[in-house]
Amino acid sequence: MAAFSSLIKKNRYQLINLHRIIKAQSSFKIVFTLCFALFFEVGLFWLFLDGFNFLHRMGGVGLIIISKLFDIFFLGMGFMLIVSSIVSSYSTIYRSDEIPFLLTRPFSISQIVLYKFFESTGLSSWAFFFIIIPFICAYGYHENMSAAFVVWNFLFSIPFLITCSGIGTVITIIIVRWIPLGRYLRIPGIGIAVIAAWFLIHELLKYRSITTESDLNLSMLLPGFTLASNPLLPSYWISEGIMLLTGGQWLNGVMFGIMITSTSMVICISIEWVGQKIFHEGWQRLTNGSSINERAPVMLWWLQNILLVFPSDIRAIVMKDIRTFFRDPVQWSQALIFFGLLALYFSNLRTFRYHTFPENWRNTIAFLNVFSVSAVICSLGARFIYPQLSLEGQGFWILGLSPARMSRILLTKFFLALSCMLLVSTSLMFLSARMLNAAPIVVVVAILLVCSISAVVCGLSTGLGAIYLDISQKNPAAIVSGFGGTLNLVLSLCFMLVAIIPFGMIFHLNLLHRMNNHQMYNSLIIAGLWLVVLTVLSIITPLYLGLKTLLRREY
Amino acid sequence: MIEICNLTRKFGSFEAVSNLSLTVLPGELFCFLGPNGAGKTTTIKILTGLLRPTSGTTRICGLDMQIDPIAVKKLIGYIPDMPFLYERLTATEFFQFTADLYEVPQNKVPLLCDESFRLFGLLDCRNVLIKELSHGMRQRLIYASTFLHNPQVLFIDEPLVGLDPYSIRLIKDLLMEKARAGMTIFLTTHILAVAEDIADRIGIISKGKLIAMGTLKELLALNNECKNLEDIFLHLTENDN
Ligand SMILES: Nc1ncnc2c1ncn2[C@@H]1O[C@H](COP(=O)(O)OP(=O)(O)O)[C@@H](O)[C@H]1O
Ligand SMILES: [Mg+2]
Repeated sequence: MAAFSSLIKKNRYQLINLHRIIKAQSSFKIVFTLCFALFFEVGLFWLFLDGFNFLHRMGGVGLIIISKLFDIFFLGMGFMLIVSSIVSSYSTIYRSDEIPFLLTRPFSISQIVLYKFFESTGLSSWAFFFIIIPFICAYGYHENMSAAFVVWNFLFSIPFLITCSGIGTVITIIIVRWIPLGRYLRIPGIGIAVIAAWFLIHELLKYRSITTESDLNLSMLLPGFTLASNPLLPSYWISEGIMLLTGGQWLNGVMFGIMITSTSMVICISIEWVGQKIFHEGWQRLTNGSSINERAPVMLWWLQNILLVFPSDIRAIVMKDIRTFFRDPVQWSQALIFFGLLALYFSNLRTFRYHTFPENWRNTIAFLNVFSVSAVICSLGARFIYPQLSLEGQGFWILGLSPARMSRILLTKFFLALSCMLLVSTSLMFLSARMLNAAPIVVVVAILLVCSISAVVCGLSTGLGAIYLDISQKNPAAIVSGFGGTLNLVLSLCFMLVAIIPFGMIFHLNLLHRMNNHQMYNSLIIAGLWLVVLTVLSIITPLYLGLKTLLRREY
Repeated sequence: MIEICNLTRKFGSFEAVSNLSLTVLPGELFCFLGPNGAGKTTTIKILTGLLRPTSGTTRICGLDMQIDPIAVKKLIGYIPDMPFLYERLTATEFFQFTADLYEVPQNKVPLLCDESFRLFGLLDCRNVLIKELSHGMRQRLIYASTFLHNPQVLFIDEPLVGLDPYSIRLIKDLLMEKARAGMTIFLTTHILAVAEDIADRIGIISKGKLIAMGTLKELLALNNECKNLEDIFLHLTENDN
């Protein structure tokens, strides 16, 4: 235990050092950061409150949704936490340079894993609190809850956070240990995967056959409803427990509290156990994973040759980035998870059979779809594009020393990101618009919007990535959850709203017959011009500022 | 070839290099000696443009790094003491990457790669990821890729740290040969034997100040109670430690 407490002490020293570093930074930056965070929280609070009021005014369905919202919120949060923990615990637990150091010190392996688990939980927790605080406040305010509501939320959140993050970590440790499967496990593994896939498809089909009979009913709109109030789920214990405690039903509430706390403890114990049993093996697999003879000396030689049309310094950077991406399991596995979630979203578009809805409904849903595709773009930008300059890392001296101009390097990164992003975003948008069977003009506007948002997200992420460059950090999860990463995500989301809302309004007014078709086309053109100006400005400004910071930097 | 004029660099209020002036002639192998923390790395980073001077100027081949960085960068090569390379590229890919950065024509690269990998004994490692290479192999790889664009001026920071006798011999011979062929080499070290072996001229820096400069003979002549470089070094830097 003494060893373990020395680890905690080390973190305290790091905190003290961090304090010193912060003190050395300009107070302007700190004040700006704090103001921004506050502004963001208040904004989010109003947004949630507005949403509740809207649902309230809707009556009927809206009221039911509100009553269930609390359950759904924690269910969704739990799901997101597990996914993000899978991602971040991989890079925090397996990728950290600290592991080899710690393994040679007098710590047991389970202590190391547990310690790294808490570090990874801490990394994902502050984004969690950032989002749930305004939600909880808005919900409490709207439902006239007492202040105790917030306190109970906070108390329940901690074991919930540990539980979800722990589940993710256990999954990661197991995956790393056994996947890719060895010779003997391969056949049973594939068998299980096939059975699981068959089961999933079977469930989906069953679901669809119900929805064809009934019309637009509630369970269709929110399939999470029944799941969210399943009494076996920890997220349900949380929402129920908080409600009971706030309502003064102490005994039942405390029981839920004890349930979630004991679950989180069980999770910690299982991490300790899994850590002791299989962590080391998995870590070994990762570090000695490659076999020298199988690799070709140059990967993607054909692409290198295709890129001969570009100047050679640009080709150098592009090829290096592509190769590094594909050789880095942290990066591509996250891309896989990301696209897996997208596939889930699309299968949902299909099961809801939106394409059979009346036209005005379809167009509205198509616009909502623009929002969700844009949100996907924003998170892609935040997760993959923003950290790319920082991940250049200590290797920056190579670029700093080379005769390639910084502006070219930055622009190369921007255009590389943009071309990948456009490929993803336009095809996503096109596919989903086809699935929703939207009107052609809506499809065209949607695709243009998505292009503009992609470009701005790439510009912002590259520019801010340069401004908040952190070359000492190798863990993308930590880079993304830093201040610059959050700022980038928020600004991207803001731009998305500013870009989409005018077009949405125009279509909406046209639908309500407050605007005829002729007027609609005219206003679309004006809105389009406005969008172009805005797009160009929001690409150039961050790139310019980023370039200036890069030029001012020392390596 | 290299002119340093009243160079000063501060970190906060701490002067890592103070008012340093020296000149290195073309084709000369100049050794920059000093205890740990004397300011050697800082000087070399300023010369290569990775750090900016607080005051003073540096010129390489008559070009000022602050004014015309691109032209200077084409002329120089730099091998840092703890080089970071892209861990997820293979040795060959890294070589290709450097070739592209310095605009070496694509069709010449495979041949150059073969040649220099043979010279540095890297042929067995051509398809190994850099993160799997040992320190010595990495060091060889970085020499191979630095010589690729034939720099006129080469800066090397602590070239022999952590290398085996074979690698040390390889690199010492290589440096002397390159210097004979006209390359100007500026290297820092605190290993005195190396300086005695290969240096044309030696400069000794301590606490950011240049305290002695000249050929080995000149230095010995100036400090006549000293028998070798070690004595001179310890004698000159003793009051500082
Ligand atoms: N980025 C930095 N910030 C503050 N101090 C630095 C920095 N880099 C170097 N120093 C200080 O400058 C002095 C000279 O360092 P360096 O040039 O690396 O010495 P060496 O001669 O061993 O290579 C040292 O005292 C070091 O602590
Ligand atoms: Mg040094």
